[in-house]
Parts: sequence; structure tokens; C-alpha cells
Amino acid sequence: MKRTRTTLAVAAISGLSLLLGACAQGSASQSGTSSQSSPTGDTSSSSSQSSSESSGSSSESSPAASGSDAPADAVTGDVTYMEFSSNGGHEADLKKIVDAFESANPGIKVTVQTLPYADYFTKLQTAIAGGTAADAFELDYQHFVSYSASGALAPLSDVDPAPYKKSLIDAFNVGGKQFALPESFSDVVLFYNKDLFDKAGVAPPNADWTWADENAAAKKLTDKAKGVWGDYQPISYNEFYKVLAQNGGQFFNADKTAATFASPQGIAAAHQLIDRSGTVMPTAADGAGTPDFDTNLFKSGKLAMWHTGIWMFGALKDVPFNWDIAVEPGNTNKASAMFANSVAVSATSKNAAAAQKWLEFLTSSDAMVTARLASGWELPPISDATKLGAYLDQPKPANRKAVFDALDNAVLPPTIERQQEMQDAIDNALTGAAAGHTKIEDSLPAAEKTVTSLLGG
Amino acid sequence: MTPTPASFAAARGSDTNNVITVSAQRDSGQGDRHSRQEDTRLHSHGARRMRPGRRGSGWRNAGWVLVFLLPSAVPLLLFTVIPMLASIWVSLTKWNLISAPTFVAFNNYRRLLTDPTTLDYFLHTGAYIVGYLPLVYIGGLSLAYVLDKKLVARSFFRAAVFLPVITSWVVVALVWQWLLNPAHGVVNTVLGALGLGQPGWWTDPNWAMPSIILASAWKDLGFVMIIMLAGLQSIPGDVQEAATVDGATGWQRFRRVTWPMLSPSTFFVVVISLINGLQVFDQVFVMTGGGPQGATQVVVGQIYNLTFRYGRAGDAAALSWILFVVILAITAGQLAGQRRWVTHA
Amino acid sequence: MFRGAPHRRITVRRVLLYLALVTCAAVMLFPFLWTVITSITPEGTLANGPTLLVKDPTLNAYRTLFATLPMWRIVINSFAIAMASVALQLITGSMAGYAFARLSFRGRSVVFGAYLATLMVPLQVLVVPLFIEMKLLSLQDTYFSLLAPSMASALGVFLLKQAIEAVPRELDEAAVIDGASHLRIFTKVIVPLIKPSLATVTILAFMASWNSFLWPLVVIRSPELMTLPLGLSALHGEYTTAWDVVMAGSVVSIVPIAVVFVLAQRHIVAGLAHTGIK
Repeated sequence: MKRTRTTLAVAAISGLSLLLGACAQGSASQSGTSSQSSPTGDTSSSSSQSSSESSGSSSESSPAASGSDAPADAVTGDVTYMEFSSNGGHEADLKKIVDAFESANPGIKVTVQTLPYADYFTKLQTAIAGGTAADAFELDYQHFVSYSASGALAPLSDVDPAPYKKSLIDAFNVGGKQFALPESFSDVVLFYNKDLFDKAGVAPPNADWTWADENAAAKKLTDKAKGVWGDYQPISYNEFYKVLAQNGGQFFNADKTAATFASPQGIAAAHQLIDRSGTVMPTAADGAGTPDFDTNLFKSGKLAMWHTGIWMFGALKDVPFNWDIAVEPGNTNKASAMFANSVAVSATSKNAAAAQKWLEFLTSSDAMVTARLASGWELPPISDATKLGAYLDQPKPANRKAVFDALDNAVLPPTIERQQEMQDAIDNALTGAAAGHTKIEDSLPAAEKTVTSLLGG
Repeated sequence: MTPTPASFAAARGSDTNNVITVSAQRDSGQGDRHSRQEDTRLHSHGARRMRPGRRGSGWRNAGWVLVFLLPSAVPLLLFTVIPMLASIWVSLTKWNLISAPTFVAFNNYRRLLTDPTTLDYFLHTGAYIVGYLPLVYIGGLSLAYVLDKKLVARSFFRAAVFLPVITSWVVVALVWQWLLNPAHGVVNTVLGALGLGQPGWWTDPNWAMPSIILASAWKDLGFVMIIMLAGLQSIPGDVQEAATVDGATGWQRFRRVTWPMLSPSTFFVVVISLINGLQVFDQVFVMTGGGPQGATQVVVGQIYNLTFRYGRAGDAAALSWILFVVILAITAGQLAGQRRWVTHA
Repeated sequence: MFRGAPHRRITVRRVLLYLALVTCAAVMLFPFLWTVITSITPEGTLANGPTLLVKDPTLNAYRTLFATLPMWRIVINSFAIAMASVALQLITGSMAGYAFARLSFRGRSVVFGAYLATLMVPLQVLVVPLFIEMKLLSLQDTYFSLLAPSMASALGVFLLKQAIEAVPRELDEAAVIDGASHLRIFTKVIVPLIKPSLATVTILAFMASWNSFLWPLVVIRSPELMTLPLGLSALHGEYTTAWDVVMAGSVVSIVPIAVVFVLAQRHIVAGLAHTGIK
């Protein structure tokens, strides 16, 4: 009967699938295979043999793959490393660094798992909760605080701070213990479309600009009839703490027991962010905030000034117009946002020594510097500025010096344990006021109260 | 764009296990074609009572019950019930997932039940259901009614209507955000041409939930259509003809004959839609992320936030058990009312 | 149906009906068309909304898609898991439906209530305890773990219970007279008569498994086990997204479900046409 045959077929398929499942343990759970992260497409070489791969032993004495000339007391082992920053374009760069490390350390094998940022922390949290966290993983600065406070990170031993920029290595040192190494940093600068400025006869931004200069230029450059906007700066927490600093405001009080960002300076800073919406800056209704909106706007030559990060250099490589960058204008002070990613060893890792060796290579080796600079993949966190010469010599944008000038007044994001709730509260206060649903004079103090209560933990 | 996950997360969906918000079909009722079905059932009931217990209760039956239930009961127990029980325990703790949980007894429940925003999440969820269910049901039923008739290219139309059901929420959200764009969207352009007001749709706290409702109803129309189509086709033709002979108009026929005979399908659609609708998540997450400024945040959206973004898995579990009680109460009420509302043929 | 009605009225009504249907179909097909068009637009972006005419259509996006991700492996993974899930849900669901519809036992409504209760706690909350459970059983990162939560579904059970209840008991009785056991009644009498509902469960279960994202994200680590939603998610880059490639991925994702739907929906309608009562 047709039914029986179909049932049999279906049962056969399901049986096969179950069998597959029973035997095919994922390769990651047997630390001994060499599969790389998925998006590189390299998995074709290793995808077929997941279950029957080499000795799944994760002990320190796995035989060296390429000759056994490693010294007897060398650190060996298999290290799993989970990260997000290479996703979407830099997987090959990371692979170069991994390959360089493995040839320098024949006893250690590094397996990389790459995830998109949006999914990364969901995965990381559940992995830690379930006890399957990778040996080493990446954390952006905002998440570092709660992870180190929760004991999820192993303190690193005998770290030599000399190769690293002092501010960065200190940022990840808590109570004298080094919980993570800085991996890269980037900052936010003011991009501008030179051709639009020339056409409108407006002097381009320079290091002395203030908010007033920027706002005036934006007005002159906006041409709604042609769909050209003068300025774009996201209305979000990530911009707010910076403009607050640019206006001389303080985010927290001295002993971090209360939030103080709704001061008069803070309200004025918020106004700088939200008042341009609709006049010289597109609104949410125009598409602001939707993915890649601002990128596409600038790339199509319809945006004169753009506050965004240096990671955008790569995306703008082939645009047909002239563009350059400048340090973001301040008001009473100059302040630029700096973002830093870090890498840490899991507190439950069984290969902490090997993992740390990998992380030290990842964060301070010359191979890493070369790979990063060649493809513009964020900046190495190293203290030796001469090594960054190659970065400054690249053609577009011409004013690359601004990237480092901005660091003179760098502001790291204020972070607390209940970080995401704080960011959501401030985002809502700002966007609500920008859309006209509330007044910033009401919503910002309300957000400040909320954040103060969050400090209690 | 500064590297925040929100902008990227807002464009993508997460788990869509719950995205099917209507899913049922009371079976074709092959027996329904028999106009003396009711008599037959009574007859067989009576017959069964008189007959000595081949299928009576007792030890003999227990074996069969086990045979038929175990294949589903074991996986459900192992992979759903055990995690459910574990989550009860989690709801009594404070836990950020990356360190050990601490026991806090009923603190989470107390805090959630006294927090006014909790009610907001339920109200938003309720608003979603109240808007979504009638739309998708009436729309699906109308489509089923129309596509039940003999038409040219009927299969093509049915397939076309079903296509949104299988399209991912990422794409559907993008499309609807474009359609409902307050400045240049098609909908507002048409409304403007007609001289009607142009709402802010997903950028306006008052119109954001209607935007989600419209997109959801549109997406699921095809599924309701398929279910109601099956229900319609199970209605015996001779009953319809009898009504026509008696002089009933199309509308009267629908109200007196078709509608009651569809009640099992309708009942099913409503029960499951409520269970799924109360747990709506994907479309809200993808279209508005709970915004603007929390205006569309629903219960499961907050549960997701609490678990994965705020590091408060204990609160999340507690909130989900509060939700469970609500769903259970509503479902139990419906099942109790089944006798009154559903006419089994 | 319109016996006696003037011929002219039908024509106008019919024309309007077809117009409405065509509009409806166009609206329904629109997003899929947009997806396809974006996927064949060179460096297609969402910047300016959908366009109907593509200047230089190209299959580049698909080439990139298959080069960036191990697409064949991913699609096969998703397909195998979905088919296994369908098979298991059909078997376990129809058997449980039979138990609830045909067998009377003490506490039947309580047990059925318990089944329904498994639908009432959202996945977001179950994911963490379930993952820990998988880890304790050393089953994380396996095909089995991907399948586990969808081996049985109370939704399918509910649906099939309703379906079986509608089958007249006299058919069972007839089989009993011929000496059939419950198993025979189930396979020979019941199952053939509930095909439309089985087809519906097929579509339901396939779609749920095919689109499942959160659980595979949490439980899978090896690239070899990656499923389609995970793969497509990885296409969203850190700072920019290649929308044409993402749309190509969406198209690839839709095609198998469309095929399953077309195959299954014939049963839903045809199955009905073939049931005459004996």
C-alpha cells in the first residue's frame, strides 16, 4: 500500500538521520580536528571526516603535527577560540594569524569559531552556563565588566604589559589582576564628502571645529530637494556618552554611586544629538537606524558628514568621490569614542597556558600587526607607534593621522554590570525625544534615575 | 554606524519555532458526508457500552495505552518537561548564566508582579492578539471560501497565498517596513492620495503594533486558508443543496449551515492561535525590537531580553511561568466551552 | 450553485473576483519577487527599495553564497533534520492521537492537558536548561541534539487527535469484528483516513524545523552540523551586509519548503475528494 511504502521510506530516512546523529559527534567536541570556522569555506577539506578524525585526546602531549622539534617543556595542547570580530570579511586575516602562530608553536592547535556579533553573546552565555565554553573568547569592552565580575574569566599570569598601549592594557586590569588582553581598538571620527563641500563652497572640517561649526556647515550642505543630507550621527547611547564628554559633562559621580548625565551639560549634549533630526539629518521614518542606511547614504554621495568608526574605511574603498576624515568636533572639550575588543581565557579552560600563549600572540605579534594593517581590520593595541607606519601611509583617507589624534582625547564607554539595561534606557530616552514623543528635559532625567537604580545591581 | 548589536539584531529574526500562529485542521471528517453521522455515532457509543470490554479500561488497556503514548511521551518528558521543571527552579534564583545561580525564593515573582511594566507587556501581547486573530481568521476564511469554488488557475492562487507563510520573517519584515514607510511607503502614498491621514506606522508608538499585526495577519493568511479549505470541503454537498432547495440565500446558507459545520476548525484555530499568540516573539523582535521605546514589547520579548541581554535568567523564568498560568487559564476556559460552542457533526 | 441567476451577473461578478484574486496573489508574491530580484542585482542593496527592472542581472550572489558557506552541507543538514523531525512527529503524534481519541483510560484528560501544557512555556526559557541537560548526557553538538526537542509535538498530537475523533467509530467496530487489534485498526483503518491532517502536520513540522534558529545556535558548535538559519545569519557581517547574498540565501531557503508544500497540499485537498463513506 502506498501509505506503508511512504511510511517505510520516511522511517528509513529518520532512522538514518538518527544513526548519523549517534555516530557523528561534532568535531568540536573532540578537540583534535583542524576544522576552521564556517564562513571561510575552508570546511570542505575537513567536513567529511568529523567522526573518524585523529586522536580525540585533548591532553597536553598530542604529538606535534609538523615535526617534533618542539622543546620538551614547550606548552602544547588544543585551544578553542570563539570570536566575532572577523565575521563578514576578515576571516582570512584571522586565519593568517592562526597559521603564523601554529608554525611558531608546533605543539598547539587553535580551532576558531566565528559568530556574528548579534548571536555571539547568546551563544557565549549558554556555553558558559552549560560548561562548554571555548578555552579563549573575545569580549568587547562593554561586556568585559560583567564577565570579569562574574568569575567567568581566568586571571592571566605573568603578562608583560610592555608591548601594549598603557591605557588599553590597564582597561582590562581589575584589582591588580589582568583578566583580558586588549585585542584591537578603533575609534570614531568625522567622515566627510570633500566633493560636496567643494561644490557648496564650504570650508571642510579641521581640528579646530566645534559643534557650532559643524551645525552651520550641515545647514549649508543640506539640500532636501536633491536628497542630500548635511550630517548623520546615530542617536544612541554610544554617541551620547561621548557628546556628554565633549560638553564637559560627567556620566557618573566620583565614586560611581549615582548617574549624573542629566545635568545641564548633558541636556545640551542630548540636544546636539537630537535637534538635527529632520532638519539636516534623516529621521527614523526616512530609514535612519535601519541596517546599512547611513553607509549606503554616504556611499551614494548623498551625505556630507558622517560620524562613524574607522572600520568603515574598507567599505568606502571604491566610492567615486573624494572623502576624508577629521577628528570629531567637541564643544567645551574634545572627546572621541574609542572601542576596544579584548580576549580572555575561560575560567573553566583545561588548556589555560596554551590559550594564554595564543592570546599573547594574537594581541602583540608582528604577524598580527601586518595582517590587520594590510586589510584595515581595526588597529593593533600595541604601544610601538612606529609599527603602525604602514597604516598611516595608505592613501584613502588622506588624513589618517586623525585616527591617532582622536586617541589623545579618547573616551571609553561607561560600563556597569547591568550594561544592556542602561544602554536601552538611554537609547529610549534619546530616540523618544528625537521623534517628538517626549521632551528630552523629561526623559533624560528619568533615564538618569533608572541608571542610578541599576547601579545597585 | 557604531558597532552596536541592536541595528543588526533588529534586522533578523531569531527562533521561529513559534512563528506558526495558526496551525490546525479538524480533520476532513470523512464520516461527515454521511448525513446520518450523528445517529451512527450514538449507535456506536451505545454499542460500545453494551459490548464487553475489549476496549474497556483495565489492565488490558494499560498495555495499549503505553504502546501508543510512549513514543511521544518519552521525548516530551525528556526534552520538554524536564527543562520546564528545571526552569521552575531557575525562576527561584538570581542567575546571569555566566556564574553560579543564587537562590532568592519568590523575589523574582514578587518584583515582576508589582512592576507596572509587566502589565504593559501583557497588554501589548493582548493588543496583538485582539488585532491579529480576527484579521487572519476572516481573511483566511474568505480566501478559503473563494478558492473553494471552481476557478481558473485555482492551485496557482492557493500556492501564491501560501508563499508568505514559508517566507522568512527577515524578508517579510523588510518588505513591510518598506511598504509602511511613513515618508515614501506605498501605503502612505495611497492614503495621502485619498486624502486620509498618514500614520507613522512602525516609527509611531501608537501605530507600531498595528504594523506588526498587519504584517503577521498577512503572512499567516495562507495557513488559515488551507485549514478552513479542508474544513469547507468536508461539508457534505447534499446538506448545502438541501438548504438551497429550501430557498436559503448565499449568506443565510453560510450562517446557518456552513459556519456551524466549520466550528470545529474554527475552534481549533482559535485555541492554537491563542496559545501561540500569547507567546508571540519573532515578528516583534524583527520588525520593531519591542520599540519604539518599548511600545510594542511583548511578554516573550521581555523574557528574551531578560535571559540573553540583561543577564537575569531567573526573572525570565519567573515571567514565563506567570505567562504559563495565563495561557493555561485561557486554554482551559476554551476547552470547557467547547461543548457549547462547537457543533460536532 | 447559481441556478436560475442571469448569466450576465455572473460574468461581472466573476471578473471582479478574478481581479481581486490577481491583486491578492500579486501582493502575496511581492516579497518573494523582491527577494529574487535583489539576489540577482549586482551588489544589490535595499537602499532604494525594490525595483522591477534589473540592469545587469547576475548570479554572482549565488556564487558568493556557495563559496562563503558550505551550502550543500548546510542544506543537507537542514533537510535531513527536518525530514527526520517530520517522520518522528507523524509517527509519535498519530499514535498519541489514537490513544487520546480511541482508548479510554483513567486520567486521560489530565494527560492530554499535560501534553498541551508543553506548548505553554516559550522556547527562550527552555533553551538553557535543555542545553545543560544535553551537556550532562554528552549529547551536545550532535545531530541527535538538534532533533531532540522536535521528536514529538503536542501540537501535532492535538491536531491528529481531532482528526481521529472525526473518523466514525463504526469503522473501528467493523475491524474489531474481523479480529483486528488496536495496532491493526490504527494502521489499516485510521491512518489512511487522516491523510489531510498528516499532510498538515508534515508542513507544520517541516517548517518549524527548517526555520529553527535559537536551539541550533545554542547547541551546535561544529561547522559540519550547521543548519541553514545559522548559516544565513553568519552572512550578516560585523559592519556591513551583502544584501544580495543574504537574499540569495533566503531564496535557497524557501525553495525546499515550497516543494514540500506543493507535494503535501495535494493530499490535503485530494485526500478529501477520495473519501467516500463505505
